Amino acid sequence: MRLDPIAAPTPARTLGLPALAILATIALAAALAAIAGANPLETFGLIVKGAVGSKFATLETLNRATPLIFTGLAVATAFRARLWNIGAEAQLYAGALMTVVIGTQLGLPGPLALPLMALGAIVAGALVLLGPVLLKTRLGVDEVVTTLLLNFIMALFISYLLEGPLKDPMGMGWPKSPALPRDARLPRLVEGLRLHWGFALALICALGVWVMQTRTTLGYEIRAVGQNPQAARFAGIPVGRVLIKTALISGGLAALAGFSEVAGLKGNLTSDLSPDFGYTGIIVAMLALLHPLGVVVSALFVAGIFVGSDSMSRAAEVPTYIADILLAAALLFMVLAILLTRYRVVRG
Amino acid sequence: MIKRRTLLAASAALGLVMGGAAFAQDVPKIGFVYVGPVNDGGWSQHHHESAMQMKEHFGDAIEVIEQESVPEGADAERVLTQMALSGADLIFTTSFGYMDPTINVAAKFPDVKFEHATGYKTADNVSAYSARFYEGRAITGYLAGAMTESNKIGYIGSFPIPEVIRGINSSYLHAKQANPDVEIAVVWLNTWFDPAKEADATQALLDQGADVVLAHTDSTAPLAVLEKAGAYGFGQAADMAEYKPTPRLSSIIDDWAPYYIERVQAVVDGTWESHNVWQGIGDGMVGIGEFTGPIPEDVLAHVTQMKEDIASGAYHPFTGPINKQDGSAWLAEGEVADDGTLAGMDFYVEGVSGSIPN
Repeated sequence: MRLDPIAAPTPARTLGLPALAILATIALAAALAAIAGANPLETFGLIVKGAVGSKFATLETLNRATPLIFTGLAVATAFRARLWNIGAEAQLYAGALMTVVIGTQLGLPGPLALPLMALGAIVAGALVLLGPVLLKTRLGVDEVVTTLLLNFIMALFISYLLEGPLKDPMGMGWPKSPALPRDARLPRLVEGLRLHWGFALALICALGVWVMQTRTTLGYEIRAVGQNPQAARFAGIPVGRVLIKTALISGGLAALAGFSEVAGLKGNLTSDLSPDFGYTGIIVAMLALLHPLGVVVSALFVAGIFVGSDSMSRAAEVPTYIADILLAAALLFMVLAILLTRYRVVRG
Repeated sequence: MIKRRTLLAASAALGLVMGGAAFAQDVPKIGFVYVGPVNDGGWSQHHHESAMQMKEHFGDAIEVIEQESVPEGADAERVLTQMALSGADLIFTTSFGYMDPTINVAAKFPDVKFEHATGYKTADNVSAYSARFYEGRAITGYLAGAMTESNKIGYIGSFPIPEVIRGINSSYLHAKQANPDVEIAVVWLNTWFDPAKEADATQALLDQGADVVLAHTDSTAPLAVLEKAGAYGFGQAADMAEYKPTPRLSSIIDDWAPYYIERVQAVVDGTWESHNVWQGIGDGMVGIGEFTGPIPEDVLAHVTQMKEDIASGAYHPFTGPINKQDGSAWLAEGEVADDGTLAGMDFYVEGVSGSIPN
């Protein structure tokens, strides 16, 4: 068997296959729910209800989507240039770390602290991705490996800090950083509920990335480098420099997820700040076909599945792990669908 | 929301003075939140099983809702809020890291009652409940000291919080009673449940020469490694009877069922009040599993007696003379540790090597 490229895929192919991927995911989830002894339709109904069935549920879904929009944008931006940034998790923690350090150590008043925290986070995240991209452009080191491994290095570094220099003296031994002062936190969007300004910031970033990609020279260069680096170089585009700029933007975006989670939600840094937001960002970006505005939609979808599965699991007694399986299956089916829109499987 | 509004409208229309709640024939709804999967074989499973015993006790008089594997981060607050919104009357949050989320959510739902396990913060509608696991540690520690041939015992620490530090100190003090030459090596994992890490840590301790390993994590992974190595260990939070007769020598069994029944009954009766309780072997919250394996007769007699003495209150595992790790005096001859110091214990006793991550 081999794959033959399709020059001009029909609309039936480009739209039908992704739709088929979604149907296949739903079918698989239905089968799993049935195995768990629940009624599949009822299970789906409960997931939807748990995700958007009330004002609280909807706002919690938006809340859960916020870091995913940031990490999804980070991945989408990098992947567009064929810069395989698997390290959004590390960049997120770098951002969270800087947020906490600036917010708790400098003693600045809120209006000054918040922008500085965000800026510090962006710089930290950008620097974390700068290393791997320099290794890639200078020495040809595969960034998939370096960015992935940096996730573990960062996780251990954060662990070290939370056990040592950054440990909250009032924490009774629990590894967490001191909390941000009240005025150094992002205000809530809705009084009494947890949705905060981080969500608005995420939407602005999505719009910004979209404008950058479609309306600026850099956006054009990123796409050119992503589609064919040789041709881009031949056309006079400084490929290395474009990759570095891409990395700075991507790392900064992922770091804002950390900033938003700490300043908007948690108020302090713990080693479990991110339940794999960085990795889930890859799913978000792939489901969105790397489109910055699509990232918002797919982040909401992914967040909805998570939040909805939480409440579904209590009502239908289907384990929440179904959310993980659903998302993994959606990703695999979607990647396959994308492949099959561009290639035809030929025997022999 | 719509439902409640219609209900209120209906009650107003009927001219009834009773509130909407009186109409609903709902039975009390009891929520449980677990940090690990309910089949972890240890901590979460035992909370779950105790919850199920409680459910059996009340039958249809109550309803139980549960959620497993809830991370202690930002997700916990959402899950608790969802439970409170879905009409839970009493919610048990069964891991230390749920403390702040519990307090936060409880502040928003003054009519919902919360019970947080192993923490120290309470509020008008938040109780704290915990078990004196260090009493069980005295017994398993003594066994560890008696059974080690290398004079080195290992300890898998989860988080360096007072509860875990108490366990290490109690284990070491009693291991030393059995064997004055014993040393203890501690590994910190910063997780409650991670079978792969727990297995790695066990192997690391074995490689350092330990031949008995105690664990303060939730899975059975350490026992699986000890079994292969021919070393000894203990059931933690659950009996872990599948590892009888060896490598499991005994176990510390958490029995939350009587407490859960008592507290749910209080909600049913409308007599629930916030409190902070700490129960041990005597109250039945801490159980000691059957002694198995090649434990010598005299050791067996000693730990059996020790268990009785702790249960009756005749013996306190922290009885002086005990010095702190730096050599400074903590408890004088015959002096017994007070609960306040124990609750905030942030120091090793003399003889424990290494330092608490700080």
